[in-house]
Amino acid sequence: MKLDPFVVEVIRHGFSAAAEEMSLVMTRSARSPLLREAGDLSSAITDGRGGLVGQGRDIPIHLGAMAYTIPELLKVVPADTLNDGDVLIYNLGALGGNHLNDVKVVRPVFVDGEIVAFAVSLAHWPDIGGTWPGSYFAKAIDTFQEAMRIPPVLIATAAGVSAPIMQLLKANVRDPEACEGDLLAQIAATKAGERRIVELCRAHGKAVFTATQARLHDLSEIEMREAIRELPDGVYEGEDYLDDGDVNNAPARIHVKITIAGDEATFDLSGSCDRVSNFCNTTPFMARSAVAYAARIMSGRDMQQNVGALRPLTIITRPGSILEPGWTASVAAGNHETSMRIVDAIFRAMQDTIPQRLSAGGATTAGVLFFAEPRQNGSWSMLYEVHGGGEGARHDRPGISATRVHLSNTSNTPVEVIEANYAIRVEQQAIRQHSGGAGTYRGGDGVVRAYRILAPSMHLTTCIERMVIPPFGMQGGEPGKPCRISLIRQGASVAIDGKSNLVLQQGDLVTIETCGGGGYGAEAAEMKGGR
Amino acid sequence: MSDSASHWEVGTDIGGTFTDIIAIRRESAETRIAKVPSRPQAPVQAMLEAIEAVGLRKSEVKRFVHGTTRVTNAIVEGRLPKVALVATDGFADVLEIARYRRRDLYRLDVPPKSPPLVPAELCFGLAERLDHEGRVLKALDEAEIERLVGWLKQTGVQSVAVALLHAYANPLHEKILGERLKDVVAHVSLSHEVNPEAREYERTSATVFNAAAMPIAVEYLSELEQRLPIGPGLQVFHSAGAMVPISAVKRRPLVMAMSGPAAGVSASVSIARQLGTSRMLTFDMGGTTTDVCLIVDGQAEMTDGRMLGDKPLRQPMLAVHSIGAGGGSIVRNGPGGLTVGPESAGSEPGPACYGRGGTEPTITDANAVLGYLNPETRLGDRIGINVEAAARVIEPIAQALGLSITETALGIIKIANATMARALRRVTVERGIDGRDCTLLAFGGGGPMHAAGLADLYGIESIVVPSASSAFSALGCLTADFSFLQQQTLRAALDGIDLSRVSERIATLIGDASAPLIANGVAQAEIDVELAALMRYAAQNDAIPVPFTLPLDATRLKTDFLARHRELFGYATNESCVIESVRVQARRPSTTVVSRPAIAVRPVSTARRICSFDGSHDIATAIVDRAAVFDVVSGPAIIEDAWSTVVVPPGWQARPDATGNLFLTRGTP
Repeated sequence: MKLDPFVVEVIRHGFSAAAEEMSLVMTRSARSPLLREAGDLSSAITDGRGGLVGQGRDIPIHLGAMAYTIPELLKVVPADTLNDGDVLIYNLGALGGNHLNDVKVVRPVFVDGEIVAFAVSLAHWPDIGGTWPGSYFAKAIDTFQEAMRIPPVLIATAAGVSAPIMQLLKANVRDPEACEGDLLAQIAATKAGERRIVELCRAHGKAVFTATQARLHDLSEIEMREAIRELPDGVYEGEDYLDDGDVNNAPARIHVKITIAGDEATFDLSGSCDRVSNFCNTTPFMARSAVAYAARIMSGRDMQQNVGALRPLTIITRPGSILEPGWTASVAAGNHETSMRIVDAIFRAMQDTIPQRLSAGGATTAGVLFFAEPRQNGSWSMLYEVHGGGEGARHDRPGISATRVHLSNTSNTPVEVIEANYAIRVEQQAIRQHSGGAGTYRGGDGVVRAYRILAPSMHLTTCIERMVIPPFGMQGGEPGKPCRISLIRQGASVAIDGKSNLVLQQGDLVTIETCGGGGYGAEAAEMKGGR
Repeated sequence: MSDSASHWEVGTDIGGTFTDIIAIRRESAETRIAKVPSRPQAPVQAMLEAIEAVGLRKSEVKRFVHGTTRVTNAIVEGRLPKVALVATDGFADVLEIARYRRRDLYRLDVPPKSPPLVPAELCFGLAERLDHEGRVLKALDEAEIERLVGWLKQTGVQSVAVALLHAYANPLHEKILGERLKDVVAHVSLSHEVNPEAREYERTSATVFNAAAMPIAVEYLSELEQRLPIGPGLQVFHSAGAMVPISAVKRRPLVMAMSGPAAGVSASVSIARQLGTSRMLTFDMGGTTTDVCLIVDGQAEMTDGRMLGDKPLRQPMLAVHSIGAGGGSIVRNGPGGLTVGPESAGSEPGPACYGRGGTEPTITDANAVLGYLNPETRLGDRIGINVEAAARVIEPIAQALGLSITETALGIIKIANATMARALRRVTVERGIDGRDCTLLAFGGGGPMHAAGLADLYGIESIVVPSASSAFSALGCLTADFSFLQQQTLRAALDGIDLSRVSERIATLIGDASAPLIANGVAQAEIDVELAALMRYAAQNDAIPVPFTLPLDATRLKTDFLARHRELFGYATNESCVIESVRVQARRPSTTVVSRPAIAVRPVSTARRICSFDGSHDIATAIVDRAAVFDVVSGPAIIEDAWSTVVVPPGWQARPDATGNLFLTRGTP
């Protein structure tokens, strides 16, 4: 079909606008601080077969996984069983999933009885049941210990929200009231997306609308192929390590072998270590999501992120490995830790070939501290805190301090919001001076944040990487300082691990110091900028 | 002072390139409009020249209201004076840490965050601490104040921002510092005055912006007071859509941060009220940006702030949504498709058709190629429109696409309009309204040119091009209400609310908001007070405004909140809810009436030009002088005056009313 290039552009705008509108509905009406303050959510529009065509300005790791969310769903829920008004909810890893906290709410969009698109709202639920409040259980032997597993079920139909399913979900989470509000917000977001898509489809006609979706994929494919062709053919290997979790709790290896041949690239991650003993396993979808991000950075182009851009890429993971550990392996932390290490490994593989497109290692850890306090009615009050750190330096500038890098982009929760809502006093929030690695350009500095516990007791989960293996320097730059976590109880220091679940006492002071970014280049730092 | 015979009221809008002026005399129902070049180095001089340009002497001016982008421009262009920040000890890095979030998801070449507004060496951590209920955890002692004073003197800054943790809940420590520092530095901004709301980064950012704007604002406002000594008649337009006396602005210059765009919206509000239009979308398309705003039932939507670059400017203001697309936006044909903006050719070199060295195709070049721009247009030092130059820069794109230059230009306009449509959608969606039910009010240089195409794309039925469209923001300065706005965090749960305590707080706020009006001679009886509770579910973040009246009725508030929540998000639950803050607007409604302006008559070519429209190319099109439009004009036609162009495509009609507004609709007259 011959398409007016201007109409393609107009429809493309429409998809992005619809996805952005969905995210807006979520942040404005959700309940959990993790969603409303930190913004740990994403929205996407796919075509009628599940191919991503539009996304919000959200979280890259989510958006990468969304490429698989619908196609995998349709393998178990055939499209012809869906009706107008249906809304599905699910979180299983096997269905294009990442970790159980990230719950997808999906609405097929019908025009004249035919599915023309799907509106997908993904949100990180602060708690989804399981062994420990927050559903991050460091020693979990499998996903059953981690959290509630939700297969695709109808949370709503044209008749309205399903009360029994809502009851079932609320009965299995630790803050049912907030959960209901968040879920209603997700459903409302998909409704908003649907409205825009139907408008768009009707305005341009179904034939043009559908052909445009295919064209958007083709345009991204063409661009990705051109970008790969510009890279020198060859085999590039790189590796990086997670702090622990391999045999004898040794650092866990992530390895990539990249083969560039003409306009195609293969990312073979088979050399990564076996399934680990903590919650840092992840799904093959996360591996693909991480590769998609890294490939886009390697391309040096500002292209549309969609399925077309993935077509020239072959991504291989090995069954039984940390990246394909089976569908019941524990994966809570792998979502944001292991996926980041894949990006690190790819950057290290390419650092001598295209250093100007990359950056030195940054704070590739979410630095999670999760505080939970039981309320009198049996529900829990919960605070999920992520922490930014230093960005890696580049060939032309120092790294920036206190930011999120690569696959993540969630925010902090303001001190004034924490103190008004939780029995916690934040005693310090500062730049961690001199934590960035030296180099021609310095890495950015991490942050320090200190939490004083005011409640009689409080549950804490830590999920912090880069405590042992620091962010790497590039082209002779030095690594950044690794993360640190400390607990002071009644004046004495108590040992605390980066991946742990423990109970805090009143008066405890928990301090996190996040890692600095790696430096770039071997010249002395004082020569050119940096702090 | 003015003699009794002269009662001219003057509004000016000081833009980046031009200063627009409009003068109105009520007795004789006379309106005059002019444009003079802005003078960034001598803004007051430009204002006085503008008064001369409408044929008035200073002594004839009774009231002079100006809106300006001076503060915003200084912020955007990073030309702010050095400012020091005083924060609670342990939190002095608040600006550099910000909210962690990076600007662009997939680009490493640009830094994830722009540099902090205050460098680390000018941030001071002060030993003191409050909790979220305003209780003093660590008192501010004399020795600490001395330490601060010593440090401040060393820095040599002229302006200091004080933003202490939880100061919105208890201003005690900030007030002490306000007293003590006023003799140490010239300008002190206190966060509880500038933006008394929770979330430390956003409040600190607003306070620092205010501190940085103060030296600039005080200097030129003082000069203006000296050179145009008309007392309380001298007023400034503020971002929340009304005017305030100069004395109030000197302490809180941030209130005029968005005063330019706000003035345009304010003029739209009076048109919406005059015409009885219940839903209106303003469409103000300029050279580099386009501003849109929603007006419902004669009230413009308000918002709690906006981003300037990646920095939050939190301050109650009109919900003007700006996008980086205007006449000068550059068109690119990349492998991923055709895009418009956000890069702009600016005023230098400007679009290729300006013939000043512009080599990249812009939206204005597309309009020139289509025949919409008068080749003899003279604006400032710009002479003529070079259509050939425009065609030359569009040609490479046309060749790449295998289309004619005309088809390509029409496509560029279509994509530009899609960008605009997205902005319209954004402001209507936030309010739960279908934009297609709105009337489009088009002004600014490009608004009336693009309005019909945009309406076709978006499904809008009716357009109004206001009579003074070329000086519309200046007009807004005059027709706006005289008002002042206060907003404060209250954070009171609705269940078990202490009505008497809350009512007391509201009474205080009403007093605060009314005081500047009373100080300027407005009688208490003339003041209207509008109240809105910003409400949310206890667990939510964003509060939505729910209007209310006194005495406070908690049941009514809850019902109204649920209805509003359902309207906005499509659902509501029975969770407990909270009044996050209260917004009080005290105003004396405007009584200014505008008549059809006597635009400086200027010969426009009344012949025909060859123009192209979507679906009909290269047709001889009537060119009509706007001053001569007294009857229906059927498209295709171009209606021109000295400063603006209205495009009436085939199938559209333009109908004038007695005051010179043009109504554009589809179909037969």
